[in-house]
Amino acid sequence: MTDLVGPGDPDAPPGRAAGDLPEAAVRRMQSGAFSSGLSVPDFAACLELGLQPVALVQGFCVMQWGWYGPGSGYSRGMSPYVYGSQGDGSYSETYRCPHGYVSAEHRMWGQNLEQPWVEAAWTQGYGSAYARMIEEATDVGAHGVIGVVDRVGTLADTGNTEFHFLGTAVRVDGGPPPAGGVPWSTYLAGQRLTKSIEAGFMPVAVVASLASVRVWAYCMTEYYMEGQVGWGYAAGGPQLVEQVSKAHMAARQLARKHVRAQLGGDELHGAFIDVATRELSAGDEVIDCTLRGNRMRRFKDFDPAPAPRPTVRLG
Amino acid sequence: MSTSAASTPDLRAEMRRGAETMAVAAPPSSARGITSDLSVDEALLLHAGGWEPLDLVCGVAVVSVPVGVWNWGRGAISLASDAHNEAVDQAARALRAECAKVHGHGVVGVRVEVEVRTHHIDVELVGTAVRPVSGEDPRGTDSALSMPFVSDLSARDFTLLLRAGWMPVGLAFGASFVYSPRRTAGAAMKQSTQNIELTNYTEAMYSARESAMEKMQRSALEAGGEGVVEVKVTEGPMSFAKHAVGFTAWGTAVKLVADEHQFVQPEMVLPLDDAVVSFQAQSLRGQGRGR
Repeated sequence: MTDLVGPGDPDAPPGRAAGDLPEAAVRRMQSGAFSSGLSVPDFAACLELGLQPVALVQGFCVMQWGWYGPGSGYSRGMSPYVYGSQGDGSYSETYRCPHGYVSAEHRMWGQNLEQPWVEAAWTQGYGSAYARMIEEATDVGAHGVIGVVDRVGTLADTGNTEFHFLGTAVRVDGGPPPAGGVPWSTYLAGQRLTKSIEAGFMPVAVVASLASVRVWAYCMTEYYMEGQVGWGYAAGGPQLVEQVSKAHMAARQLARKHVRAQLGGDELHGAFIDVATRELSAGDEVIDCTLRGNRMRRFKDFDPAPAPRPTVRLG
Repeated sequence: MSTSAASTPDLRAEMRRGAETMAVAAPPSSARGITSDLSVDEALLLHAGGWEPLDLVCGVAVVSVPVGVWNWGRGAISLASDAHNEAVDQAARALRAECAKVHGHGVVGVRVEVEVRTHHIDVELVGTAVRPVSGEDPRGTDSALSMPFVSDLSARDFTLLLRAGWMPVGLAFGASFVYSPRRTAGAAMKQSTQNIELTNYTEAMYSARESAMEKMQRSALEAGGEGVVEVKVTEGPMSFAKHAVGFTAWGTAVKLVADEHQFVQPEMVLPLDDAVVSFQAQSLRGQGRGR
């Protein structure tokens, strides 16, 4: 199976395959019968477009997350005192206590820190599963993969993460193979894909990214998140928790930036943003933001649809 | 809405044309591609209405709620209401700033997520920045760029609103939290065996409702709107403070930009197909029970 070559590089075709599928999979795919994950309406729409389903293709990858103990790569994330900013242009923002020395327990320093090593691990798992699905599609001579479904979940109770891709490999009737023989892919199928084609947008690839930001609260953030006003400050009303608000904004903006880096000038349609927050203590948290969508390329000039005709449905 | 297509395109030819685009490697591009969370239908409708998506934008704010606010008391819990309204304002401000950065005239399809916690209130707004293709905004281009609108209307509803001569001007929001008055020990004991209305809760609900709706309508007027459409409400006791009830109301503030309301005059359609009775195999296995 391939190494990571999936979503992530705007210049290289996504999902370059190495061609070492399991033998049983090769035999099954050469059996002559096609398989597809499409619903009947999507299947009908697919034929209408001149797309011939070839095979239901899949890709898997299970990732173990390294431990957070001393000596591990993750120990960089244990304390902002150790390494400071992560460099490489990654996001980092520091906050200093306004009080001076108060006590040994007082949080004199706070930091929002992007965790590129977490992002890289996620990209490896996601990209490998994607590349393996594309490898299967390439092996059956497909031009594209439609109706892609991806799932990122915990593998049983192991704490490991399973990445699973599934889609229907198709060939375009009378159409040329894609550049480099690497199939294009999209989450769309059926009428939605038909409308995109009709509007002049060709799917290039499914794209996704994860942005992970760790928040170490400094004293003021800790106070605010516990409903206090802050040592030495007069009692007041509600306060904007600037550090946490900025960390949330940064996680979303970074996810968008990572996806944009994969677009290579194309467009992202049907984007879906999902945020998971793990609270560690008052203000201390890890924010993981995933953004996924369809990378689409315009293949003809914009052709606006006619003005819609409003209707009322009777019965 | 349906579209009055003059001719049916040759879909197979279009698909082959798309495949030919993919048959050659794309030249390197430094163009800043658009990002959007609109569905295909919404994007096409938006284009048909003369608008285009620009960028996926978001605004997040976390505002603290001072300790002790949820303790027993009487009347409105004004600090919590202030925190809620402040969180929404700050998130909307961040959203508008992102929209302005990409020269958007407004944000449509905004997904509103609010979480009220004991000591902080989190608000997240995510939507797609849009602009008119022609660059001409019914509100005036300068004022549109200086104050982009924020709307939780879908692109479909936004298009329909424009067609009727109205424009969204902002997200109108109101929240109120109120203590439910304590019953006396005697009253509680007396009522414990009765089927009886708990008027303390009913009154608290009414009080919170009135205050929240008033705030929402005031925020619509402050944004220059004439009214609010698609109002959503949430209400009920707080999970962490059952003696306090909260009421939130929000929607899109709109104003008439045409000389008068344009009647859309929809056509009536009588579908001739029968409703399909779907059979779900998983119901035989008892899956989904209790959901």
